[in-house]
Amino acid sequence: MRILPLALVLGLAVIASPLASHAQVQGVAADEQIVMKQVMTDKRAVYAKNLSLSESESRAFWPIYDEYEGKAKKLDDRFMTMLNDYAAKYETLTDADAASILKEKLAIEKDRIALKQAYTTKIAKALPAKKALRYAQIETRIETMMRSQIYGLIPLAQ
Amino acid sequence: MLKKTSLFASAAVAALALLGTGESALAQTSLNDDTQLLISQLQTDKRAIMLKGLELTDDQVKAFSPIYDKFQAERKQQYERGADLLNKYASNYDSMTDDAAADILKDWFKLKGDQQSLLKDYSKKFSSVIPKTKVLRFVQIENKLNALTDFQAARVVPLAQ
Repeated sequence: MRILPLALVLGLAVIASPLASHAQVQGVAADEQIVMKQVMTDKRAVYAKNLSLSESESRAFWPIYDEYEGKAKKLDDRFMTMLNDYAAKYETLTDADAASILKEKLAIEKDRIALKQAYTTKIAKALPAKKALRYAQIETRIETMMRSQIYGLIPLAQ
Repeated sequence: MLKKTSLFASAAVAALALLGTGESALAQTSLNDDTQLLISQLQTDKRAIMLKGLELTDDQVKAFSPIYDKFQAERKQQYERGADLLNKYASNYDSMTDDAAADILKDWFKLKGDQQSLLKDYSKKFSSVIPKTKVLRFVQIENKLNALTDFQAARVVPLAQ
């Protein structure tokens, strides 16, 4: 039950809806870039430590992993562009702006799931499926951790 | 456990309960009455948070609510699929074969894709009854709540061995 204080804090952030300024929204975008850079650096070490790959498994896994990360980075960049667009329009957001941002957000998420599935399938062909499952679980932990932090910071549309 | 000490505490507890896990061990669950009750509690809490967070006018609430309730009903089926999937994972955990792992991965991605499709479909439906800025706000709140519960859920499920 030690998770509950965290849940409370993050939960309040959902509906607190502070009167965020343009600068604050831009600050979130800048913070996210820092977080993403750190995560990209640390992720490789996390997988190296937790997948317990043999030498032959390593030779098969890492090129696929690097290819996946390269493509995932492009999706992260699209997300950042969308977030910066949101920040720029935040104080005078129109329905047309909201529709455009929403369309891009949903498209990024769809592409992210498809990418993750495609590369987990590749990894499952290169490694035992149990390790591919473990890889997907670690990826999900990292992704949901980042999302819970980042989404908690982004102010709601006004 | 179901006392409303907080909407979000309930949501987090429900997320854990849906996954049928403790802090360090994975126990098999079934879609029993407790799980159904927790899904119901989670959805009730989400509804309250959503309506408070959206800050709709009375007319907008009238237009939004029936569609939102249909969305919730479909999400409920997805929660149940998630619980079923965790049961499958739990029952295979100690002697996980590659076939079982592949099957779980396939089901998990199907569920994630369906969740995303549902959000997209209902965003379109909401766009016809409330302003698009409010629809964006709906998706933002939904994402924040899902991020919260997904994170809590992911961190307590033991990794495949």
